[in-house]
Parts: sequence; C-alpha cells; structure tokens
Amino acid sequence: MKLKQLMFIVLGLGIISSIAIVYFYIIQKDFTKQHREFLLSVNALENANIDLEHQILQNSIYAYHNQDEISATINRVEKTYRDIQESEILNDSTYAQTKESILSLQKDISLNLQNIEEYIMLNAGIKNSLVFLSRRIDEATFLQNKDRDLFIHATKILKHFNDAKRMQDLDYINHNNFLIKSKSTDIKTQSFIDNFNLHSKYLINRYPIFMQTTKTVLNNDIHSYLEKLKIDFSKVALSDFKALDMFAFILFSVFISSLFLIIVLFVKYLKENKKLQDITASLEHSLSYDHLTDLHNRRAFEIQLQKIREPHLLIINIDGFKYINDIYGNDVGNVILQELAQILKDEFSNRPNTCIYRLGGDEFGILFNKISSENALEIAKKLEKKISNYDFIVYDLTLHLLVSIASNSTVPILENTDLALKLLKKDHTQRILEYNDNLNIKTDVKENMNTIEQIKTAVKNDKIVPFFQPIINLKTSKIEKYEALVRLRLEDGTFLPPYKFLNISKKSSYYHFITKTMIEKTLKMAKEFPQYRFSINISMIDILDAKLTHMLFETLNANPDVANRLDIELLESENLQNLQVVQDFITKLHVFGSKILIDDFGTGYSNFSYFSNLDIDLVKIDGSIVSEIETDDKKLHMLTSIHKFSNGMNMKNVAEFVETREVALLLQEIGVEYAQGYYFSQPLERPLEDDRVII
Amino acid sequence: MMKTFLLLIITLTLFANEPISPIPTEVKFNLEKAKLGKKLFFDTILSKDNSTACVSCHNVFDGGADSNVVSSGYANKKGNIQSPTVLNSRYNFKQFWNGRARNLTQQADGPINNPAEHNMDAKTVENRINDSIEYKRLFKSVYGTSYISYTQVLEAIVEFENALTTPNSKFDRFLRDEIQLTKDEKEGYILFKQNGCITCHNGINIGGNSFQKMGTFLEYELKSDYPDRSKITNNPNHKNVFKVPTLRNINKTAPYFHDGSAKTLKEALTIMAKHNLGIKLEDKEVEKIIAFLKTLDGEKPKILEEK
Repeated sequence: MKLKQLMFIVLGLGIISSIAIVYFYIIQKDFTKQHREFLLSVNALENANIDLEHQILQNSIYAYHNQDEISATINRVEKTYRDIQESEILNDSTYAQTKESILSLQKDISLNLQNIEEYIMLNAGIKNSLVFLSRRIDEATFLQNKDRDLFIHATKILKHFNDAKRMQDLDYINHNNFLIKSKSTDIKTQSFIDNFNLHSKYLINRYPIFMQTTKTVLNNDIHSYLEKLKIDFSKVALSDFKALDMFAFILFSVFISSLFLIIVLFVKYLKENKKLQDITASLEHSLSYDHLTDLHNRRAFEIQLQKIREPHLLIINIDGFKYINDIYGNDVGNVILQELAQILKDEFSNRPNTCIYRLGGDEFGILFNKISSENALEIAKKLEKKISNYDFIVYDLTLHLLVSIASNSTVPILENTDLALKLLKKDHTQRILEYNDNLNIKTDVKENMNTIEQIKTAVKNDKIVPFFQPIINLKTSKIEKYEALVRLRLEDGTFLPPYKFLNISKKSSYYHFITKTMIEKTLKMAKEFPQYRFSINISMIDILDAKLTHMLFETLNANPDVANRLDIELLESENLQNLQVVQDFITKLHVFGSKILIDDFGTGYSNFSYFSNLDIDLVKIDGSIVSEIETDDKKLHMLTSIHKFSNGMNMKNVAEFVETREVALLLQEIGVEYAQGYYFSQPLERPLEDDRVII
Repeated sequence: MMKTFLLLIITLTLFANEPISPIPTEVKFNLEKAKLGKKLFFDTILSKDNSTACVSCHNVFDGGADSNVVSSGYANKKGNIQSPTVLNSRYNFKQFWNGRARNLTQQADGPINNPAEHNMDAKTVENRINDSIEYKRLFKSVYGTSYISYTQVLEAIVEFENALTTPNSKFDRFLRDEIQLTKDEKEGYILFKQNGCITCHNGINIGGNSFQKMGTFLEYELKSDYPDRSKITNNPNHKNVFKVPTLRNINKTAPYFHDGSAKTLKEALTIMAKHNLGIKLEDKEVEKIIAFLKTLDGEKPKILEEK
C-alpha cells in the first residue's frame, strides 16, 4: 500500500517535472532568444547611428562626397529602430519601462534624422560657396598686381571662413569686415567684388545655423541614451534571469527528489524481492518437504515418480501408531516419527537412486530406481528387523515398534503398494509383502466401483426400495409389525441385499438419500396398512449426523398420522461415546409414539450400559443366538437370560433368524414375545393383507 | 613592379573617391514576377475608368517620365507635379518628389489611390484582377494562390520596377575604365564637380539620395502650392525642398524640375546655377556640362524586351 503510494508520488513527480522541463525549456529559449534579439537590435541601432555620424563627418570634410551611404544608413537607422519597437520582449509587461524609453527615443531619432537632412542641405550650399570663393580667388591672380590689398583681404576672408568651418567656431568670423570693396572701376575687379560679396553674404548668413545644426547632429545623445537603455534593460532582465535560475533550481530539486524516490523505491523493491524470494524458497521447501521429519513429502514423491524409469517403492507403516498417539500423546508420536525418519535417513540417504518420503501420517516411502525385487525385499527385511530391534527412547520411555513393509514395482506404483499394505495389515502373521497381481486385491476395488455405479443408477432411477419382513406376535400368532429392509433393484430385476451396498454407500453422499427414501417409502406403506407397525434400521452413529436426524424428524412431522406406528431399530456401533445424544434422540422419537429397539443384541459391541442409559422398548436378540438355541444349550441359556433380563427391565424381545418350526415353538415356550425369520416369511415387497400365521 | 603596384593603388583610390558609382550590369529580380508586374504596369485595368496605366505617365521606353508638364489621369484630371522617372527608381533613397514613400511598394500604392491618377482602392483592384481569367491564371502560376491579393499586385509591379535599370551608360563604362570620354564630356564632368553640382548630384543615381532646396542660394519663385518637403515636415523653411532628382537619362526626361519649367537642359542648367549655386555659367561651360549629361543615357532595361 505504501509502495503503491510512493509509486504514484514518483509518477506524479515525473510527470510534473517533465512538463516543467518542457515549459522551462520553451520559456528559457524564448526569453534568451528575445533578450538576445533585443540587445542585438539596440546594438545595431547604435552602430547605425555611429556609422551615420562617421559619414556625416566624412561629408563635411570632403568637398564632394557620395551621399548614397548616408541615405542608406539613414534607412538603416529607421529600420533598426522599427525592429527594436517590434521586439517581442517588449510585449512583456516587465519591460514596460524599456518600452516607454524606446517610444520616447522615437522623437529623438526622427529629430536627429531631420537635423541631418537639414545639415546636408546647408552643407551643400556652404561647400559650394566656399569652393566658389576659392575658385574666384584662384582666377583673380591679376589683382595681385592691380589691387593687392583687395586680393589679400579676399584671401583672408576665405581663410576665416575655412577656419571657422574647420574649427566649428563662429569667433573666426565674428567681425563685420566680410565685404570687400575697391575704388577701381575695372569691370573685372568689380565683377570679382560683386560675386565674392554675394557668396560672403550667403556664408555669413548661413554659418550660424550651419554650425548649430552640425553641433546638434554630432552631439546627439542617442548613443548615451541607448547605453543607458541597455543598462536599465539588463537590470530588469537580470531579475528575469534570476527567476529563471530559481525555476531551474526548483526543477533540479524536483528532479533530485524524484531520483531519490526512485532509489528508495528501488531499494524497497529489492528488499521486497528478497523477502519474496525467501518466502518462495520456504514455500517451495514446504511444498516438497515434510516439516516434521524434514523428509520429502508426498508431492515430491509424485513428482519424482514421474521422472524415474524403473520405480520400485517400499512403504513402511507403523503398526498401531494410532495407539501410541492415544496412549502417549501426539508429542511422543511426533518424536517417534522423527526417530524413524532418522533411521531411514541413516539407512538410505547415501544410497544412490534412492529417495525417502513421508507419504502420510505414519507411512514412509523408499523409492528406488532400478532395483531387483529380490534386492528390494532383502532391504525391506533388513529394515524391518532393524526397526523392530530398535529402542525408541522418548523422554523416559523406551518403546518398541513393529512396522509393515509393502514392496512393489508394478504400476500404478502407489496404488498397488497401498493395496499390498492393506492386505498385509489384515494378516498379522506377515510383516513384509510384495505386491503381485495374484493378490486379487483389485477385484474388491473393481467390485466396489461397480457397486457405487449401481447405487448411482438406482438413486437416479428410484430403484431403492424397502422390503418388508413380518414380525409375529408368538402369543397371538398374528403379524403385528413389519421390519423394512433396504434393497437395491438392479437393471436385470434382481435385488441387491444391503450388505452388498450399504457399507459402500456410507462412504458416499448417497447414504443420506437412501435413508430418506427408506423412511418415506416405509411411511407410505404404513398409510396403506394401518393394521401394522413398521420399523426401520438406523445405526447409532447416524444419530450423530444432525442433517440425517433433522430429515427424519421433518418427515415424521409431515406425517403425524403414521408417525406413531414407525419404530426405530438402533444398530449398535463401535465406540459410541456420547449416549446422551442417543437418549435425546429417543426422547424425541417417543413424543411421536415411536418405539425403540436395540438391534442384534448379544453379539458385537452389545453393551448392558445401554439399558441403564437409554429408554429402550424392545430388544432384538441376535440371529447367531436364536438360530442355534435348539442345538446349543449355551445359546439357549443366553437367550433365556436375555429374555429374563429384558422382562425384568420391562422390555420385550424379538427373536430374529427363526428358520424352523422347532425354534419357533421353543421360543413360544420360553415366552419370547416376537419372532421373525424365513420360517414365517422372507422379506416381501408388500406386507400381507392377512395377518394370521400358523405356527 | 613597385610602380605598377603603386599605380594600381592610386587608380583604385581615385576610383573609390569618385562620388558617382556605375549601375550594376546585372540586377537580381524574379523574372516571372517582373513579367507579371510589367503586364500590370501597362494595363489600364488599374484605373477606375480604364483610362490610365502606370506607363501613361512613366514612359519606360523613353526616359521613364512624362513629357507633359503635369500628367493627365482619371477623367483627364491633371496632376500637381512633374512626373519623375521610374527608371532606376530602385536606387532612390525615398520616393516621390517630397520623399513621402519609404520604398517602391509605398510609392506604387500612391498613384493607384490618387483620385487624380488611377482613382482606385485596394478592394476594387482585387475585385478587378480576380475577375480576370488571365490574371487568375498568371498569378496562380507565379504565386500558386487562387485568390489574388492587392499586396501581390503591388509586389509584382515593384518587381518590374526593380528590373527597370539602365546600365552601361557611356559614363558608367568610363567609370569602369572601359572607354574614354570625349574632351568636352570629360571637361563637362570636371565642371560638374568644380561648380558644385556634384555636391547634391552624386551616388549611383547621380541624385536621389538627399533633399535639397530649390533655390538654396537664391530663392526660387513659388509659382504654385507644390507637394514639397514642407508638406511632410510641416517646417516652413522646407518650402521648395524636394528630393534631388536623378540625372540618369536626363537627356530624355524633359521638361525639368518639379514644375516642368525648364524645357531644355540648357534652361535647367542656367536656373540651377543661378538659384542653387549662385553662379552664372558661360555658354561654353553649359555646352560641356550638357555633353557630360548626355553620357548618362543608359541602355533600355532588358525587361522591356521580354514578352
């Protein structure tokens, strides 16, 4: 979560700084370009102005001069000034001051250019007149003899004009003696005087304004104005540059921080990755290793089995390991498993092509590749001997273990080895068994599979049906009840007896359905035959199945008219611990008017404690006793005792497996209340209409 | 060796110091645009009553100006000043007698809008030109645009005017040391310099690069209210101040001056000497200067031969 946030921050910073960089680049580029262009334009204007001054000076020095340059430079001044005015940078309000200065410069520049025009106009006349005067003097050499004073005066005047122009100083002509005259009547002399004075007058007249204009032109302060403008501009620009610097600094900071964040992310990523790798490694280890014994586990076994070409498997199973756990506790059991694993490791870990596995709770596997069956059996024998002689010392206890070892190299390896082990477990005389196809173990499995298939079909097609065996009251010789017995109708029309499928169905989901069907169909039959009671079989262990009992009571609730004629025969079960649950069940049943039987009493786990703890109505005496009372005195005695005991506890008896008239009569004589069996009738698809029986 | 080198230096220096420079023999311009401009220059489509073309007042085949004192334009209205030559006008620092146009484009805009000349406006010009299938085709091939703008029209005319140069005049060839002038011509040139004509008539166009007062030495009579420099500067001292006109092809552009008062070069020279130089030229001098001035006639612009 934090990593994700960090990533978003880095991403955000990245995007922001990218945009900022682009923005900065554009701003910076534009600004620098505009700044440069502006200064270049100002410099160009300055240069044009300097050039102009230079050309004006040239123009004033030379008597005649190509003015094309001046006019070109004037155009240049005007153009560069327009360039400055149009500078993009002046659109920025920051440079409003500069813009104003430039606007006010316009007046100066146009004034200066006007002055230059003026200057050129004035200069032309003055130059021409000066040239004219000097030419006149040049042509008047005749005066040197005729009128020397006049000649000298004229020369002086010309000198003064030239000096004044060169020095740009009016003082040189600051006197009134600029007109020459002579008393001579010579036409040539008078013509000289007239022409000379005409131009002298002209010059005197024009000099002051010419000087003034020249000064104004040459001393224009455009240059210093532009210098000041540049300085002011640079000051403002400097703060702009500073802002850019600041921006660059911020940008750099953002960049550095995103870089730092990336490094943090990277380190974090590396750490997470390391953690993940550790977890993966430990996960992978625990995927293929058993944590208790640190041997490879069943998964690893299955993978390895795929890899090897000629597998041979030994499965070692501890006999009665369950009891070790029960008696000494799981801790001791675990230690024993670890010890046994150690023995196996000692024995096989250095053997090539051999792997040791913990396949299940107390089941270990040794998987060989390429080994002869003889060799494997030899190893198994040696191992079995070693283990049986081994002192397992746990805390202060010394324990001895027996193991069964199944050996097999026939595929499917695991299944066949397991089957061999199962068979071995049933036979307590052997410790080691090698699987071979003749063990016939498989037929059972096949049959089981077949049966499951039959159950499935029957359930689907409603072929689970109850058969009814009459129970006869020996005192009245009348059928009083029917015991419903479950049958499975096969497709060929024959019926499977319960021992062929009921146990198997208990391991499937069909058992529940079968029980339900039996209850419903029996109740239906009870409705048809109101003269009889009916009983169905339920094992005590079924009572613990809340779903099943719930279903039973639901059904009874739904059929209150017949519920009081439905009795329950409880089949004893192994290890039924909680009799209270059974009693609660009985109490509930009694409400409906049902009666409770203990089935098959006198064999198996028959337990007298039931009678003290449970409200039993009838006791059904097991067929193994009943069928032999005529030939076996002991059995007869047992039966008599059970009957007396039952009567004493206010319970009645039903004798089952009554197959002869003799037995029936004997039972009648003893006083057993009810009997059933082939002597009277085998189980029937429907109860009999007639309830009379002849004994 | 040393002598040759020195001679070269001196020649170069002298040449460089000459206040008149020759017209380049080749000028760069866009021929296609110039040809298009030429068509426009000769076309009366640019005047309101289809009476007047640019060429009406600027006879490019002979001097580039009008031989009338003032030109006639729209509805035979008379102009108020003598038509200056269009030849070599690209070398003038400013256009019009009073320099009110900074360049030829601004100049060309003037007569088109002048009620006494073409009496048009930009919109009408555009409509007229765009209505012409031929102009549509020509502009399309030159500019690649389907709509012809007024700016494009002006640009084409200006490009034609840029091509109107008269190189290889006898004097230019003399300046380039290709030929010699006759004695009279040469002496005329020297008189031209000595008497101060050169002060204003210098540069490539022998004028056209400064303003000067008509009558700088001796006031020249103000016969009429001419559009002189004072109309631009509002300075009363600038009455009778005009752009110094070019002297190139001067032999062909009579009558002379803004008022067309001088019918011949001799008259013109006499007036100029009196009013602007304060001198009186002798007949012999006048003849020599005229001989020099005649060497300023250049070749006809090549563009005029183009079809």
